[in-house]
Amino acid sequence: MLESYIPIAMLFILATVLAVFIIVLGTIFGPRRKSFRKASPYESGMQPIGPGTRRMNVRYYLVAVLFILFDVEIIFFYPWAVNFRALGLFGFIEMLVFVGILLVGYIYVWKKGAFEWD
Amino acid sequence: MAAKAAAAPVAELTGPLAGLKEKFGEAVKPGDFEGVVINHDRLVEVATYIRDELGYDYLTSVTGVDYLAQNEMEVVYHVLNTRAGGAPLVFKARTPRENAVVPSLITVWPGADFQEREAWDLLGIKFEGHPYLKRILMWEGFSGHPLRKDWKEAYYEQDVKPFDSRWPGGHHRRAEDRVPYADNVNFPADFDPTVYTAQADAAVYERFKNYEVDERGQFVPKEAVKDENGNGKFQEYLETDELVVNLGPQHPSTHGVFRMVVALDGEKIMHLEPVMGYLHRNHEKIGERNTYIQNMPFTDRLDYLSSMSNNFGYALAVEKLMKVTPPERAEYIRVIMAELTRICNHVWAIGFLLNDLGAFFTPALYAIEERELILDLFEAVSGSRMMCNYFRFGGVARDLPVGWLETCRELVFNRLPKKVDELDYFLSENEIIRARCEGSGVLTGDDAVKYSTAGPVLRASGVAYDVRRAEPYSIYERFEFDVAVRNHGDVYDRYLIRLDEVRQSLRILQQALNQIPEKGEIQAGKKQYSARVPAGQAYGRVEGPKGELGFYVVSDGTANPYRYHIRAPSFINLTALGPMSVGQKIADAVIILGSIDIVLGETDR
Amino acid sequence: MDVGISILVWLVLSIVLVFMLLTGFAYTTLLERRVIARFQSRVGPNRAGPQGLLQPLADGVKLIFKEEIIPASADKVTFILAPLLAVIPAIVVFAVIPFGSSIELFGVKVPLTLAPNMNVGILYVLAITSVSVYGIVLAGWASNSKYSMLGGLRSSAQMISYELAMGLSLVALVVVAGTLDLNAIVEQQKQVWYFFLQPFGAIIFMITALAEVNRAPFDMPEAEQELTSGYNTEYSGMKFALFYMAEYIKMIVISALSVTFFFGGYREPLPLFLTQALPFLSVDHTPLLGPLYFGLKIIALLIVQVWVRATLPRFRYDRLMKFGWLVLLPISLAWVMITALVVLLRG
Repeated sequence: MLESYIPIAMLFILATVLAVFIIVLGTIFGPRRKSFRKASPYESGMQPIGPGTRRMNVRYYLVAVLFILFDVEIIFFYPWAVNFRALGLFGFIEMLVFVGILLVGYIYVWKKGAFEWD
Repeated sequence: MAAKAAAAPVAELTGPLAGLKEKFGEAVKPGDFEGVVINHDRLVEVATYIRDELGYDYLTSVTGVDYLAQNEMEVVYHVLNTRAGGAPLVFKARTPRENAVVPSLITVWPGADFQEREAWDLLGIKFEGHPYLKRILMWEGFSGHPLRKDWKEAYYEQDVKPFDSRWPGGHHRRAEDRVPYADNVNFPADFDPTVYTAQADAAVYERFKNYEVDERGQFVPKEAVKDENGNGKFQEYLETDELVVNLGPQHPSTHGVFRMVVALDGEKIMHLEPVMGYLHRNHEKIGERNTYIQNMPFTDRLDYLSSMSNNFGYALAVEKLMKVTPPERAEYIRVIMAELTRICNHVWAIGFLLNDLGAFFTPALYAIEERELILDLFEAVSGSRMMCNYFRFGGVARDLPVGWLETCRELVFNRLPKKVDELDYFLSENEIIRARCEGSGVLTGDDAVKYSTAGPVLRASGVAYDVRRAEPYSIYERFEFDVAVRNHGDVYDRYLIRLDEVRQSLRILQQALNQIPEKGEIQAGKKQYSARVPAGQAYGRVEGPKGELGFYVVSDGTANPYRYHIRAPSFINLTALGPMSVGQKIADAVIILGSIDIVLGETDR
Repeated sequence: MDVGISILVWLVLSIVLVFMLLTGFAYTTLLERRVIARFQSRVGPNRAGPQGLLQPLADGVKLIFKEEIIPASADKVTFILAPLLAVIPAIVVFAVIPFGSSIELFGVKVPLTLAPNMNVGILYVLAITSVSVYGIVLAGWASNSKYSMLGGLRSSAQMISYELAMGLSLVALVVVAGTLDLNAIVEQQKQVWYFFLQPFGAIIFMITALAEVNRAPFDMPEAEQELTSGYNTEYSGMKFALFYMAEYIKMIVISALSVTFFFGGYREPLPLFLTQALPFLSVDHTPLLGPLYFGLKIIALLIVQVWVRATLPRFRYDRLMKFGWLVLLPISLAWVMITALVVLLRG
């Protein structure tokens, strides 16, 4: 089955070549008239105060942590789902237990206020 | 009091003013106008009394006037009673021109904030006790106070128009052409325009308490901000930065070159500072140079979406001085134009509020379609779609063309009511609109009065104050209509109240179109090219689409107004923007601004 | 099959695919502008060529001759890399999407899928679509601009949140289909579309897919009203064009995926009696019709997306996140279990 990845690799290379080509195209034909003001980051025409990248509110990262937790668990669903008919009742109950555990975590996170943005 | 006028008779004090005189004795003196002059030592005390005991809870206008001849500065306050209505109570404080100081009334009426800053900025009157007395319309590096009578602008020619360079000889040469490098351009001693950078607008950031200037002159977050409320921190043990972002001046949703500097903690607004003046052209100074009639087209440029209303307010103020009343037909035409303007403005406001909500132009374009039809009507009467210049002192410029009334009736009786219902039907119950607008940007009724907000913003907070009812002008007392009121004071109510007001305007229009005399004069007296305005002072106000639009005009009997001040609703309503936005999400700041509905031409003047 | 022929077939198919996507992208922009214009009682661009058909070309040429500005404080390598990372995954996803059954060409049986019968098809799709978030996050970070940074953070938080519900909505589909192979899923829909068996799954998938590609009403990261242009504020010229391209190709991708999973893929969108009466209309009889049907279905879904954009205002960010975590996630989890139960009971 590995050979079915060869066309994907080909498409990947082709897409990369295309994207790089597009960027090069712009670099070749675009004018270059640099100036100090042009090269400063855009902030509605004002000079920005402080750097653009800094320690942002932690909620954004909290979402990332939660995502990793839940996403890993959702991956477990896939093999189960593919073989669901074969697993039958046993598989269903087993998954109920799994979902139950997942829900405990979910409710815990919810009660902790991780989904609140205020 | 006019510069050249002889000592006018002192008016007898009546009504509430008499009580004031009794209570405060020598501190309150009658003036040569309907009002009192208050000794500025006791200004705050008297003002508090006026607010609490006399019931004048709303400060509508603060005007500085420079009387060069008397070597005096005057601050004129107009206060209102929002519950009882009626004419504004006028009181003044006087101070010598040099080192002009007047106590700030911001503690009595917080709505004085921007207007006092404006008076400081343009006239150099210091308001003692104002917490943030910075320039508001001019930039910090500006030299002098332009509305002072002895201040001369760059390329100054003469005190008043018409300038000799263009009239009577008719040489249309501009002063700039004759003086290619003007030598009357002034900068402060420590200011060099060639090296000026935006960092000099640092003053704005001073109010952001978590920021400071470091040794390189950069603005950086303060080291380890220890705020007892934990502001700027997500949790004590996890330090994150507040982000100070400029929304504007070059920003798609600030409705022009308006700037909001916000401090963000993630998505939440911790502090918001409105910065304006990018479109400032010193309307009032130019207005003083102009003759009275030249100011009529100039008022069009204030709130350029509702020029007819602006004309109306200015005409009323000058008519008060001239003591003329327009003939019957002209009054009807004026009311029809003003109400059409209101519809125009409100559908535009609703459309662009929806745009601010992220609806990609569809509601806006449907709303604009109706506006275009109204503009057609304006074009037919005045020759211009937006800058109408249609009102004259004592009447209107031209009579209605043949067939105009029929077109207008068709629009008002048949088309617009349906279209308003359509907007209502498609927008009001939309889930996303409700979820985003309800409960955001709440302004309580008390706060709305406190911050001197006007128009839909005030009425959406449950304060039924409408100049058309409180102090009816023109012929508004003849019409049946309700003052639209909503009670929650959030963005959703400010949206709904505009729909309500459009419906009420349609009611007024329907009555006016039925009653308007078929024929009649449209101008009291003969047409004049230069109005003769007797000396005196008058405050004329109308309920413009954005709120109370007031014109304070001082005449000294010459062809040009001595002082021409505008109480601009777009400008004063912004006082409430900061308090409404703090604690909301960044996306809300945009719709709160949209729901205030500003036009920068009027805000910055 | 001969290895040489295989490679030739793959090469030709990849090139065809890339060109189809490029034209598709170009004309999706035109489609959007024209359709939205009609919604707004305007005409839309109609000057360049007949009906404005050359408009995308004009836009492209204009962008080629635009100056590319890189902010002085930007991280240059990442700044240039970001648009690449956005656009490549969008194209590569298409490898497993079947756009037809197979045709005979010069005696060679050519399957109309680049990588047919991939046994982990759905996982592949999920994996690759997840990668595209990197482009946006890195663009936001590398620009060193506050709008970009906020836009980048918002979009990453949003995309990963909605990915959970998206994954779960597909789990329900897999329970019914019993396979991860996209070709097999399409063939299973010969009789009845999965949309009718999995209505909730389909709706959740389409909502989350909209959020995944940051389209209205979930266009938070580029929320014009607040963040001017979000993560791509600092991009200009062809780098901006790449982001633009990524967005529109992703629109096509999610339409293609929705069609494949829930609307019968390249199978004929015709009632059974019609194909029985006129058998040449069925894909089994005329395989060349497959891509045509597929394309028509994609265009229909694209118009739906444009329609949504022309109609709805934007969500507010915190509500959007709450909606993803507190509404869509539990519903899709429940839907998986309900589907499983029904499948179990029916044997």
